[in-house]
Amino acid sequence: MAILSPRMKGWLERFGCHIGTATKSGFPTTIVVEQAAVEGDSVVSFDLTDAQVNHIKDNMQENPYVALAPHAIASIRAAYQFKGAATLSGNTLKVDVKEIYCTKPGPEAALRLDTLPQEHVIKFEESRWRDVGPPK
Amino acid sequence: MKLTDEMKNVLKVGSDSSVVTYITTSSCDGSCNVHLQPYTDVYKDEFIFAPDLFAQKTKININENRLAVLTIAHPSEGKTWAFRGPCNLIQWGHPPKFNFHGVTAGDVLEKWGDWGSLESFDSVDDDIKPKAIGQRGVFVLKVEEVYSYKADESGSKIL
Repeated sequence: MAILSPRMKGWLERFGCHIGTATKSGFPTTIVVEQAAVEGDSVVSFDLTDAQVNHIKDNMQENPYVALAPHAIASIRAAYQFKGAATLSGNTLKVDVKEIYCTKPGPEAALRLDTLPQEHVIKFEESRWRDVGPPK
Repeated sequence: MKLTDEMKNVLKVGSDSSVVTYITTSSCDGSCNVHLQPYTDVYKDEFIFAPDLFAQKTKININENRLAVLTIAHPSEGKTWAFRGPCNLIQWGHPPKFNFHGVTAGDVLEKWGDWGSLESFDSVDDDIKPKAIGQRGVFVLKVEEVYSYKADESGSKIL
């Protein structure tokens, strides 16, 4: 289980994510959900529209492992990627995050954060960003 | 498939209305990756180019499964577009005649192989400005489909 930092939670909840899914044979589809809720340390929950459910439900049945990247201004201010196992129940998509990466272009791209102790993740964030989440 | 003028204006290098995008790829057994890409350009009205700046997982996925989806992340108002199609990475070392859907490595690398000569890497926000630049090549996405990612019409075809 990966642990989301308070900063990650703040940006995810406010702006939602681009959610990358694929068939078992690798045909990719991305949907965008503009809000999320974080449950506990590692579960990100999204309320999908009927159109979004129809768009990804076949992929979810074949291959529930998805990738998330923060939407809107959070793509700039919160350059993270999250990967994990998703469960689609009705219009609710829940993702249990297993991997967290930095996605800032350049040498820090793909730096894995979930394998670091939480205090190191917080230090990493504090060295790069002054905020602890999006503006209220 | 030809992109609209509005789409081209948004994705063209140095555009006043330039955007931050994501490129979603998958391994051939369905392991997805979503890669942040703040630099794009349009070629021959139907290809989207982007520099490879240490995009390790995207590169691995593209090597085994040449498909990608590019989505607009910010600003996205009125631009809820997802561009999908065959994608490849043209790298330094490819022979000039290496051909991907009619695009040759020689043509791509001559103009886009040094992206910094087209636009300043400083043109993006400090939060995503690379600390060091080491361009390995150019991602080439041939757009074959454009769908909407707007919540209530997700997946509906635009082009």
